[in-house]
Amino acid sequence: MRKENNKKIAVVCLALALMASSAACGNGNSDKVMVKSEKDKEKVVNLFSPMEKTDPDAGNIARAATDLTVIMAEEQLGVTVAYRTYTAQDYKDKTYDDVTLERARNNMDDMYLLNPDTIMALGEEGALKDLSGLKSAENLRDVVKAANIVDGKLVAIPQEVVAYGLFINKDMFDKYELSLPETPEEFLECCRVFKENGIETPIGANRWWLETFVLAQAYADLYNGGNTEAEIAALNSGEKKYSDYMRPGFEFLQELIDRGYVDAQKALVSEAIEGEGEDFLAQKTPIVMAYWGAANAETAYGKPDFNMLVIGFPSKRGQMPVMPMTGFGIGANAENAEDAMQVLDILVSDEALQVYAETNKVISPSKNVEVECIPALKPLNDRIEENVYVLGSNAGMKVEQWGNTCLIVRDLLDGASVDECMAKFDQLQAESLQ
Amino acid sequence: MSKDHQQKAEWGLRMKKGQNSKNKKGISLFLSIILVFCILGGVVFSVSKKIIEEMSASAIQNLNESLDLIRCTMEAILKNEAEFQKLIAREIAASDDPEAYVRAYEKNQTMVKMSLILDGESKGVSNTGEEFSEDGLNFSAGGTIEELPVSQSYVNYMGTWSYTMKCPVVREGREIAVLYIEYVYDSFDQSLPDGFYNKKAMLYVMDAESQRFVLKPKGMGKRSAGHLNLDDFYRANKIQDEGLRAEASECIENADDILFYHDIQGKNALNYMWAVNDGTIFLIGYVPVEAIQQEGRTVNQSILIVVSVMLIAFFLCCILYYFNKRQQDIARKEREGEREIQNRQLAEALQAAQIASNSKTMFLSNMSHDIRTPMNAVLGFTALLSRDAGNEDKVREYTKKITASGQHLLSLINDILDVSKIESGKVVLNFEEFTLNDLVSSVDAIIRPMAKAKGQSFHVEVTGIKHEYLMGDETRVNQILINLLSNAVKYTQEGGNIWFRILGLKQRSDQYEHIRIEVEDDGYGMTPEYLETIFDAFTRAENSTTNKVQGTGLGMAITKNIVELMGGTIEVSSEVDKGSLFGVELEFRIPEGQADKLFWKKMGIGRILVADGDPEACNDIRVLMSDTEVLVDTALSIEEAINLMQEDDTGERYQAVLVDWNIIGTDALRTAAKIRKSMPVSDPLLFLAAYDQEDVEEVLRMENTGTLMKPFFVAAFKERMMELHKSAEENRSESAVVESLAGLHFLAAEDNEINAEILAEILDIEGAGCEIVENGQQAVERFMESSEGEFDAILMDVQMPVMNGYEATRAIRALKRRDAGEIPIIAMTANAFAEDEKEALDAGMDVHMAKPIDIELLKMVIKQHVVERK
Repeated sequence: MRKENNKKIAVVCLALALMASSAACGNGNSDKVMVKSEKDKEKVVNLFSPMEKTDPDAGNIARAATDLTVIMAEEQLGVTVAYRTYTAQDYKDKTYDDVTLERARNNMDDMYLLNPDTIMALGEEGALKDLSGLKSAENLRDVVKAANIVDGKLVAIPQEVVAYGLFINKDMFDKYELSLPETPEEFLECCRVFKENGIETPIGANRWWLETFVLAQAYADLYNGGNTEAEIAALNSGEKKYSDYMRPGFEFLQELIDRGYVDAQKALVSEAIEGEGEDFLAQKTPIVMAYWGAANAETAYGKPDFNMLVIGFPSKRGQMPVMPMTGFGIGANAENAEDAMQVLDILVSDEALQVYAETNKVISPSKNVEVECIPALKPLNDRIEENVYVLGSNAGMKVEQWGNTCLIVRDLLDGASVDECMAKFDQLQAESLQ
Repeated sequence: MSKDHQQKAEWGLRMKKGQNSKNKKGISLFLSIILVFCILGGVVFSVSKKIIEEMSASAIQNLNESLDLIRCTMEAILKNEAEFQKLIAREIAASDDPEAYVRAYEKNQTMVKMSLILDGESKGVSNTGEEFSEDGLNFSAGGTIEELPVSQSYVNYMGTWSYTMKCPVVREGREIAVLYIEYVYDSFDQSLPDGFYNKKAMLYVMDAESQRFVLKPKGMGKRSAGHLNLDDFYRANKIQDEGLRAEASECIENADDILFYHDIQGKNALNYMWAVNDGTIFLIGYVPVEAIQQEGRTVNQSILIVVSVMLIAFFLCCILYYFNKRQQDIARKEREGEREIQNRQLAEALQAAQIASNSKTMFLSNMSHDIRTPMNAVLGFTALLSRDAGNEDKVREYTKKITASGQHLLSLINDILDVSKIESGKVVLNFEEFTLNDLVSSVDAIIRPMAKAKGQSFHVEVTGIKHEYLMGDETRVNQILINLLSNAVKYTQEGGNIWFRILGLKQRSDQYEHIRIEVEDDGYGMTPEYLETIFDAFTRAENSTTNKVQGTGLGMAITKNIVELMGGTIEVSSEVDKGSLFGVELEFRIPEGQADKLFWKKMGIGRILVADGDPEACNDIRVLMSDTEVLVDTALSIEEAINLMQEDDTGERYQAVLVDWNIIGTDALRTAAKIRKSMPVSDPLLFLAAYDQEDVEEVLRMENTGTLMKPFFVAAFKERMMELHKSAEENRSESAVVESLAGLHFLAAEDNEINAEILAEILDIEGAGCEIVENGQQAVERFMESSEGEFDAILMDVQMPVMNGYEATRAIRALKRRDAGEIPIIAMTANAFAEDEKEALDAGMDVHMAKPIDIELLKMVIKQHVVERK
């Protein structure tokens, strides 16, 4: 028996050896040409979008969700989406919006991730394609559609509804026995208490997002008073003045500056999160403002060492989320406009938006996609669920809001009076009426 | 030390040396293999290392070349741009309206803006239409391309990174204007490769002056990655070493190339900064080392696989070799083992043969001596007899001695035959029911006279027996006991003691009585050496004392063989001059329905009293009687016994009383009488007495009183009760003892004339008549012819011509005559074995007598079978 087995083993070994040697010798490639390059024309869609500075040894988390949807599009369409980006080094540099406008006007790219003011500007210039024909556009919430329609064209579609809120250090509020502020007065009171307790600057700010305070107070009634369309019509016709709406917010900001609750000079030269984020995370500043996604894990304020809550901005109608609509737009004369349209159709499809919303835990623009938010965002989310919010941008208003307000707030920070700022709004309104 | 021992020791030493040298060989082989593997490992390691180093060097060289290629490409583009700008400047110089020329220019993918400032003016025109000035451009760094100043990079009106070169427009040796052309970095992207090192290498184009990253060519690193300047690059990739950063800054300043290792996102990477166009532009990036060393790693993996396969193959070969060797070893060991066994068997056989030969030689020598001695006596006394035939006294003396010598010769022959028969396996045990009582009685009857003759005390003890009716070959058990006891008598000096014990052991099964028989003496004893061979055939204890003892030396061999045949064991312990103890353990089947309960009921015995000073003896009797359903009360003294008997008046009385003779005391007769009086005369009184008990006869005169020989047996008790019962009814007179055979007439069938003559002579001396016939056939015929009662008995030889004794007996028994079934037929044969006796009885003979005929035995047999019948 044993001999039989040994024989079998020997035969198997020999067979294996034979196979191995034949495999080793059998390099059957007899072609003389070693490499033959096939120059198929690669379909490329260029996407221009901002870039967040990444942390050391970490991937760019903010882009992770978009990447997933881009890969879906690439796989389905066989195209390559190339990323192009720009980030201002400091306030002296051109802003992302400036560069976006220039690039879009010069047809540098096919697809752009646009902020509300650039959507408005480019839309009015006719530099963006009408996206209403896309299949995915049918799934959009009405508020999203309304905010992105310029001259009857749907010029941008977002992957998330960006909601801005106040990020507060609840532990610090509890420490000084402060309840969460609902109105501007309550907010001032909280700041007073913080200031008196040695917190030098209770509000961390940058040159971009202080406008949210203004917009919340300006349009709390307009968007939640039940007479939105009429009021907007009145503004567009010049019956009502933007400056009247804006004044309380600017005065409020002025008070914050005057009382030293906001460091205007620092804010004026600070990029978003870079200026104030460090102090907030170090619990030196109890209040900052930021967009929804910044509260999610792996992002700017994702892992604080304290109990963080995101609430709406103070207004006379209580805490008010501010929602400017960003979105992807496609250059009207883009080189690869057709491919870009197909790519976008996939990027904002329900399937892709589901992936996006689950990855970033954000509010989806599609009425078919619902995702639970993280606990910190619950106060903000509750207000949005109640349909209580202010739009940070509205293509229906003839005076662009998001970008203009931002710039005028910078003037305030730079020392302009509230009246001067209001005069600028009046001027803008006058220009729009012309 | 004996020679044999010395040889063994030497062999052992050699074996040890062999083992040691084997171990040493094994260790050295193992060490050699380890060494070979170490060398192999070292070679493989150094080869791998060398390959890695060479491949790394080659990869770095390759990286250098790749970066140089990119640099050259970019420099070529820049040079072309500069030269083309010079060409345009010349064309503008040649044109009538330089500003119109510029305005008419349409941008392309490289030159996106063309502007002209006429000499002496601060502002000029652009092809884009707006007014142009140099204010937004920074030429302070002093960078040039083909001697044309190049500006610091900036984001142009198209929202992309660009740079501007300025070129003087010279007409007729005079500078009439300056031509500014804006170029975009995006144009490089089309000329650069789509990534290198399998797109794992990261590359940025950096403006040296501002240290801003102005281009990330396609395919260079992850698409989602992006840095805005060198500081951001350092920060994101944790390049924080001040020394390294200073060195990098110096290189940038001096337009040098630099390569350095630094981990990027946890992976070892080779970082590079490559100066382009004398350091106005830098290529910044990194490539993971694993991407560079991919080829080297692949080669090493291949080497590793090859080495692993070789090692596996080697180990497989080793395993195969090991198994093969082990199999060979096993086969060799098996062969050696077989050879060893064969050798041992041969040696043993040889030794056995030698021993057998020696034994046989010794036996023959013994036999020669033992046979010659009595034969010598027979012949000598025969000679004396013929000489002194006239002297009656001497004749008697001589014949007596001749008879004794003849009997000794006979016993010798019987033993020899018995041994040979047992050894040849021809012995068949004959299982029949027997009682221990009969066994003990018959043994006692034989041994006690022998012991008595030597003045020895013979003690018989039976204890712990539960059943005395047993199944077994009584004859053979008897043979064992006689052998052991006769030896004890033989090898014990005069006046010594012999103990014969039968002990009941714990039963292993309900169906078998487990018995130990002990024969002990305080005789000569045996040496340990002799004890080892005592059960071997043809051995005999020989020393100065026992030399006098006659024997064949076969008795113990026969005994052991019979014991083993019965499934028992025999053991012996002995000490010289202290005595010996033989122990035989046997198991006998207990016959079914042995207890004759009816007998005791019929006899009207339901309760008896036993008076014995020994409680153990009392218990033995109770145990033995337990199957009879007869209640046994015991008393340990006479007084107690009498009390018990008197108490019986109120209840059931004892139907029999057994009293141990030993407790009666000195005044035996009176005590016995006292007991007798204490009980009704109709109830039997039995005294348990030893064989040699004195004064017993006296008490027998009392009415309905008898003795029962010790040890107690139910069978004996039953027999004695029957006798007493009979004697109570009959007044039996003592039968006359036939002292002679006078007047009897026998028919004897004997083919041997001498034997026939001896037989006729003996019978004649006894006064009996005898008619001799020569064979069975004649015997049958003669009997048929005879009248009824003509012959008192037939003495029948067995081995006869024509018709043997058995057949003749069957024929006679088959005759239709009244006396054919009654006439005693006595077998007289040399076939002296138990089977022969059985065959004789089966054939219808009444008794079997072995030749030569013992006249006294013959007389007794005839008395039993002939006289008593009459």
